[in-house]
Amino acid sequence: MGFEGGGLLSLVIFLPLAGAIVVLFLPRGEGGMHKGVALITSIVTFLFSLPLWLRFRPTARGWQFEQKADWAPSLGFGYHVGLDGIALLLVMLTTFLAPIAILSSWKYVQDRVKEYSLALLVLETAMIGTLAALDLVLFYVFWEAMLIPMYLLIGLWGSDRRIYAAVKFFLFTFVGSVLMLIAIFWLWSNSGRLGGARTFDYGAVAQLTGSLPLETQRWLFWAFALAFAIKVPIWPLHTWLPDAHTEAPASGSIILAGVMLKMGTFGFVRYAMPLFPHAALEAAPAIGALGVTGIVYGSLMCMAQTDMKRLIAYSSVAHLGFVMLGLSALSAEAVNGAVLQMVNHGVSTGALFLLIGYLYERTHTRDLAAYGGLAKVTPALAAVFVVVTLSSIGLPGTNGFIGEFLILLGTFIAPMGTWTIFGGQVSKGVLLSVVAATGVILGAVYLLWLVQRVFFGPMRKAATHGLPDLTFREWLCVAPLLCAILVIGVYPMPFLAASLLPANDLIARVRPRAAAVPRPQGARLFLPPGASR
Amino acid sequence: MTFNPADLEGVLPAIILSVGALFLLTSEVFLRTVKPAVLGHAGGHPTSPAERAEARLPPGSQGASEVAGIPPDRRYQAWVAAAFAAIGLWVSLAQLRDPAVAIFNGAAASDGFGRVVSAVVCGSLLLSCIVAFGYLEALRATRGEFYALALFSAAGMCLLGQATDLIVIFIALEVMSLAVYSLTAYLRRGKRPAEAAFKYFVLGSFASAIFLYGAALAYGATASTRLSDVAAALRGGGNGLLWAAAALLVVGFAFKVAAVPFHMWVPDVYDGASAPVTGFMAAGVKVAAFATLVRILLTGFGDPVAALGTHGWQRLVVWLAGLTMIVGNLLAIPQRSVKRMLAYSSIAHAGYLLVAVAAMAVEGPRKDAMEGLLFYLAAYGATIIGAFGVVAIIERKLAISGVGDDLSSWAGLSERHPGLSAAMSLFMVSLAGIPPTAGFMAKLTVFRAAVSAQLITLAVLGVLTSVGGLYYYLRVVVYVYMMPTTKPEAVMGGRLVAAGVALVGCALLVVWMGVQPGVFASVAQNAVSAFSR
Repeated sequence: MGFEGGGLLSLVIFLPLAGAIVVLFLPRGEGGMHKGVALITSIVTFLFSLPLWLRFRPTARGWQFEQKADWAPSLGFGYHVGLDGIALLLVMLTTFLAPIAILSSWKYVQDRVKEYSLALLVLETAMIGTLAALDLVLFYVFWEAMLIPMYLLIGLWGSDRRIYAAVKFFLFTFVGSVLMLIAIFWLWSNSGRLGGARTFDYGAVAQLTGSLPLETQRWLFWAFALAFAIKVPIWPLHTWLPDAHTEAPASGSIILAGVMLKMGTFGFVRYAMPLFPHAALEAAPAIGALGVTGIVYGSLMCMAQTDMKRLIAYSSVAHLGFVMLGLSALSAEAVNGAVLQMVNHGVSTGALFLLIGYLYERTHTRDLAAYGGLAKVTPALAAVFVVVTLSSIGLPGTNGFIGEFLILLGTFIAPMGTWTIFGGQVSKGVLLSVVAATGVILGAVYLLWLVQRVFFGPMRKAATHGLPDLTFREWLCVAPLLCAILVIGVYPMPFLAASLLPANDLIARVRPRAAAVPRPQGARLFLPPGASR
Repeated sequence: MTFNPADLEGVLPAIILSVGALFLLTSEVFLRTVKPAVLGHAGGHPTSPAERAEARLPPGSQGASEVAGIPPDRRYQAWVAAAFAAIGLWVSLAQLRDPAVAIFNGAAASDGFGRVVSAVVCGSLLLSCIVAFGYLEALRATRGEFYALALFSAAGMCLLGQATDLIVIFIALEVMSLAVYSLTAYLRRGKRPAEAAFKYFVLGSFASAIFLYGAALAYGATASTRLSDVAAALRGGGNGLLWAAAALLVVGFAFKVAAVPFHMWVPDVYDGASAPVTGFMAAGVKVAAFATLVRILLTGFGDPVAALGTHGWQRLVVWLAGLTMIVGNLLAIPQRSVKRMLAYSSIAHAGYLLVAVAAMAVEGPRKDAMEGLLFYLAAYGATIIGAFGVVAIIERKLAISGVGDDLSSWAGLSERHPGLSAAMSLFMVSLAGIPPTAGFMAKLTVFRAAVSAQLITLAVLGVLTSVGGLYYYLRVVVYVYMMPTTKPEAVMGGRLVAAGVALVGCALLVVWMGVQPGVFASVAQNAVSAFSR
């Protein structure tokens, strides 16, 4: 296959690690050398990931850029990587955000630059590897390997309560994943049933699991789902997130919000749901309900926050509630919308954390009470902030609209059955989408209120020091994010096209009868090109 | 009984180690004696006040340091011991692929299992000698006995891995134990080493007596001390006497492997002994004791159609494993001293290893479990020797004043010694079982064997308790990297190069076993398939 196929993907996975090794052997000391290597490495990684995007064929079935190699055959696992459309979107998101994250804290991080650059680069490799892995052990290794650099990022370069936040982050995510590990071992020890040696390979395991009885699937599903639910995080497992986000440096928050939370939702799409379809179908309404609870709860919590970063952290809980709702609805619109919303959230919330990082660098406070009237001092920053906020709210013309609209629409028409409420039959999909729609309004409330309190009104303490407006370096970070917001908002088709086929496969596997269910006429708003209905 | 000289080849590693010990003891005869100055400061007059304070001589011993004459240079002893350990390692590895044979009329076995045990023991000794070199030199406490005792105990450990006769097991056990008791008391500073050694000796003798009682009962039931005869007697229908014998034999070794409730000695002994000794003890004694436990249970009582019922001893081991994992991890959490923490963590790791032993009761996953056990022992050995190697460097100053270490002496270590900090963090991560380190692959091999043996509850308990483990391992990382320095002292005594070599060796092994576990796993697999019963 060579460089054209899997070699390219492996290159993208391990380029950051190679950069980390270079950093490791650079002499310690001040200066931007370490950060420079990190930045160049991440930019080169992004450039190398572009051919992945360009050469990807959205209409082709199966894994693309697949590569298989022996790793530890005596232990039953191998090096097997490949991408489908959903993983590709997230890989692109990762390589896109990594240089921005590195550049974002350029000034803020001044001590232990070497460790900082190492942590960011190792983290990038781990994230891309998690998305690309097609072997359960390889996946788990990358999945856990994400934790240590993130832990160091929060704990070393965070703010006051960083140690508490870092340990909490690590323990929470670790608790979830260990049970998944046991489930992976169970799959391994039963994979011999199909004939042949026991294996950790995703494809082989997927053949086994579809036919497992419901009871078995159920506990395996929840073992996987717990790991992913904590990472997403699904309400009520979200409590680590506000702490981690608030204490992390801007670069850490961008990576955490932009990419790492998606590892949870990606885990649902790639592992928990397709591997255990019966259990996933059974659990879907419950997960959807938890998602909706997260939307409303997160939005309400946002309104009560006085710390800007904490506010955005809770808004992540709400936004990822939308993603989980879309995934659990299991209709083509909703799942595609959810996948797009993963990307959107990465771009928009990443941008919000970036901008708040800029504010913090200028004023050294995240307390909302200290802000006010900043638009007069820093008009460009204010304008950019407003655009990003609108995208996060989901204004038409920005990326957020497409995702939230598709999710709500898809949930509304989803054949999820009915709940009996006050003696009447209510469609689960309708009820969930109606409650979730209030989240859109609440989102507008808290985000616009945030903008109003920070940038408009009378000038407060923080605005009176004659703050500088966006510098060239800061524009450099913000501009690509703004472009992404507008491009996805205006022309989302290429992005939706990538996720279409894997999303359909997921639905066909989890809810095989969905295709046969006649749709109400009005529901055919969304028929992207190449849809094989 | 006939003596076949060719059988000696089977115990070659033990012979090499014994010869090394005798050589060191003999060479000591030819060294000029010096009037026994106070231990720890025989290197001439303390000239400066600082040096005087550093040596912290006990009151009343001032005159002793004025004894004329410089003691002979004993540094060669470390290298001689290391060389013999290396030869032992090489021989064990060279014999690895030889066929399994019973030697000395079935009193011992020369098989792959025993050879891997020898290799791990010799490797541990090699690394420990290098760690001890820098430590003892910095404390000016090098004497001939140290390395000779270490070699003798290692010879006992190698024999333990091969013994298949209860009497031989007992003799090898005592050879190992007596040497280790003496090593514990070696650094005669303050009361702590003496107290530790005394405790170890009394409780250890107690355990040996229990073992001996079990052996006597087994002899009473079968009229033989050969494990194979015990197995034969069981096949012919055993009796209650054998039940009691099995229980007592297991209890005797439960003490040696530090399983709860026979763990009381561990914290005091690990804490009181000097750090290089503790590292060697943690690695070597554990390997030997587990190897023997496996031999007794599998060779003697392994037949499933025995009077003990199907998997009769499995329930006993399951309970031991569960208790050990819970208690070890819980008690490690409140520890302030890193040495005591590692002591309790070694109890916890004994619990994980017992999970593998429990999984061996089932015929199907037995090979997986034995492979996992060997892999785990090797991984744990490399990690724990490295961890105690770092402790040894930190401890040098404290050891002179005779107080235990405290987490506060680790605070801010990364600012003074980035290399040491990175190494310690790596070892902690490996002990916690996070990829990509040896500790993760070790947990993988053990727990997946447990899952295939249907011991899912035990495996879940294991991974959940390892979350508690993560907390106290991470605390060391927190202190090393995230706490401000409280005692801004450099590490005492120089001679960091030798310890550095050992630490780099351990770190490379830890990473190698984590990234390329296949190499080690296939060695373990071959060894297991050549297990002679």
